[in-house]
Amino acid sequence: MEKYEKLEKVGEGTYGKVYKAKDKATGQLVALKKTRLEMDEEGVPPTALREVSLLQLLSQSLYVVRLLCVEHVDAATSKRKAPSAADDGGHGASAAAAGKPMLYLVFEYLDTDLKKFIDSHRKGPNPRPIPPALVQNFLYQLLKGVAHCHSHGVLHRDLKPQNLLVDKEKGILKIADLGLGRAFTVPLKSYTHEVVTLWYRAPEVLLGSTHYSIGVDMWSVGCIFAEMVRRQALFPGDSEFQQLLHIFRLMGTPTEQQWPGVTTLRDWHVYPQWEPQNLARAVPSLGPDGVDLMSKMLKYDPAERISAKAALDHPYFDSLDKSQF
Amino acid sequence: MEFDLENPLTNFDDGFPDKTFLFLVELDHMPSEKYLAGLRSVGCSDDLSVRRGIISSISQLSGNLDPTLSYLAINYVDRFLSSHKLQKPKPWVSRLLAVSCVALAAKMLKTEISLADVQSDGGGGFIFDAHSIQSMELLVLGALQWRTRSITPFCFISFFVSLFKLRDPPLRQAFKARASEIILKAQNDIKLLEFKPSITAASALLCASHELLPLQFASFKSDISSCSYVNKDNLLHCYNAMQQDVAMEGCESALDVHSSSDTPINVLDHHFSCSDSEVTNAAASTVRSQRALKRRKTQ
Repeated sequence: MEKYEKLEKVGEGTYGKVYKAKDKATGQLVALKKTRLEMDEEGVPPTALREVSLLQLLSQSLYVVRLLCVEHVDAATSKRKAPSAADDGGHGASAAAAGKPMLYLVFEYLDTDLKKFIDSHRKGPNPRPIPPALVQNFLYQLLKGVAHCHSHGVLHRDLKPQNLLVDKEKGILKIADLGLGRAFTVPLKSYTHEVVTLWYRAPEVLLGSTHYSIGVDMWSVGCIFAEMVRRQALFPGDSEFQQLLHIFRLMGTPTEQQWPGVTTLRDWHVYPQWEPQNLARAVPSLGPDGVDLMSKMLKYDPAERISAKAALDHPYFDSLDKSQF
Repeated sequence: MEFDLENPLTNFDDGFPDKTFLFLVELDHMPSEKYLAGLRSVGCSDDLSVRRGIISSISQLSGNLDPTLSYLAINYVDRFLSSHKLQKPKPWVSRLLAVSCVALAAKMLKTEISLADVQSDGGGGFIFDAHSIQSMELLVLGALQWRTRSITPFCFISFFVSLFKLRDPPLRQAFKARASEIILKAQNDIKLLEFKPSITAASALLCASHELLPLQFASFKSDISSCSYVNKDNLLHCYNAMQQDVAMEGCESALDVHSSSDTPINVLDHHFSCSDSEVTNAAASTVRSQRALKRRKTQ
C-alpha cells in the first residue's frame, strides 16, 4: 500500500474505515477501504472471494462507484509499516500485531456524497431547494444503479444518502458501499459503535421479516427521493420502534388488507391506528407524477412496490433527456 | 452469492439477466496479448511447455471433479501468467500454482474438496501446507485483481441459444451440451485463446449445429451474426479454427498427458474410425484413431 498516501479519514463505512488517499505515482485521488481478511485453514475465505469478485464485476457500471484495485497486505508487510499505522487509530497496527492480513479496496474518489450535498442546500451561507430537474436527474441515476444491481441478483440493503457519492461538477451520482452483504454481515452498529441509520430501512426489515427482496432497496430509494425534495429526512427515527411510528404516522398503520401477513411478522405489535396522510403534503414542491412514483416506492406490501426497472419508465421521467445516460 | 460458470451473476428480477453487460466486461477476464504471443512464438516454446505442465497438473488434481472446475482454474492460470511470466519454473512452483488455482476455483464453485486428499491422489510428488497455498492464492488473486467471477464462453451459451428459438427441450439440451464440450476442448488450443469468450461461445454453438442441426446452420449463423456485439470476422476466424479442431477431434491433442488408465483397444477393429479427419499418414492415423476412441469412451 506504499503506492498511496493517506490524506484523511473520510468516514466509517459499514465494514471499516474509509480514507481519502492519493496515488503517489499519478496523483489520482482514491478512496481506500480497509477490511480485515479473516484467514482460516482453508486459506482465502470463500465468502470474501465470492463477494469481492462480485463487487469487481458490478462496479463496471457507470452508476456504481468503480473499484479500481484490490490489494492485500499480509501480516509481515503491515508490521513493517507499523510506525505509519499509528495514524489509523491503531486498528491497522493491532491487526498487524495479531498477524491478520488486511484487504484494501481502492475505489474512485468522488468529492462529495448526497448527504453533504443535501446539507449544503439546507444550511450554510446559501440555503436553497435542490433544482427539481437535478432531483429528477439524480433519482434516475440512482435507479439505473439499483436496477443494475438487482438485475444481477444483488441487493444493496443499506442505501442512504451517505452511500451515494456525487460529483458536483459533472452532476454524477454513484452507488457506493455495495455488495459485501454476506461475507461481512450488516451490523446494527459499525465497529466504532456508531449507530447505523434506520431512516431508510424498509418496514418489513424493521418488523423482523427474514426473507426480503428488492423491495427493501426500493423503500430506501423512496425515502431518498423525498429527502432530496424536502432537504430533510422523511422518517427520522432514532430507534427501531420510533422508526416504525414515524412511518405509520404518515403512511397510516398497515393493515392485513393492505399488506397480507404483516401482523404475523416477528416483531409486529399492536400499534396506534393512524390514518394514511396525503403524501403530497410531505413533499409540497413535487408535482403529481413525482408524488405518484414516490407512493409506488413506499407501498407497504413489498410485492407491490415498484421495481427499479419499472420506475425508470415512470411518467415522472418523461421530461428528462434520457439520451445523456 | 452463488457463482456458476453459466451465470456469473444471478438475478431475481424478471427472467433474463442483463447479458449485454457481460459483453462489455468480458475483456477483463482474458489472458493478455503478450502472453498469447509468447505461447505462439516458435522461439518461446518454453512458455507453452510451462502452460502444458500446469494444465496437466490441474487435470490430475481435478481428475473426477466437474470439468468446469478445471476450466475455471486454467482460466486463472492463463490470466496469472499474463502478468507473472514464469521462466523455467521449478516443478514445485508450477505445481503450487496449479493447486492454488484449483483451490480458488473450487471455492468459487462451492465444490467441497480436501486439498490434502486431492494432492496425494494427484500423485504430483509435492504436498503443500496450508500456508504456502494461501500465499499463492493471494498472489494469484492480486494478479487477477480478485476478478475470479470469470466471464467465460459458458456465460453466453444461453444468450445465443435463446436467439435460435429451439422448441424441443431435449434437443436444446443436447445442443448446449455439445457446445459446452467443444468449449472445454477449445481451452487446449492456444490458437483459440485469443478470441473473446462470447465469440468462442458463438463458434462452439455453430460447430454444434453443424453436427447436430445441419439444416438450421445457415439460419443460426445469420442469427448470431446479426447480434450487434458479435464481430463477424472474428466469429468466422474462430469458427473455422474450431471446426478444424472438431474435425480432428481426438486425432490430435495438444495435451495428451495421461491415458494409462484407459482400456487397450483392438487397433484393427477401429482402424478407420478417424475417416473424417484430414490425416493422410496411415500409421499416424492408426495411433491417433486409437486415442480418439479412448477419449470417446472416457467421456
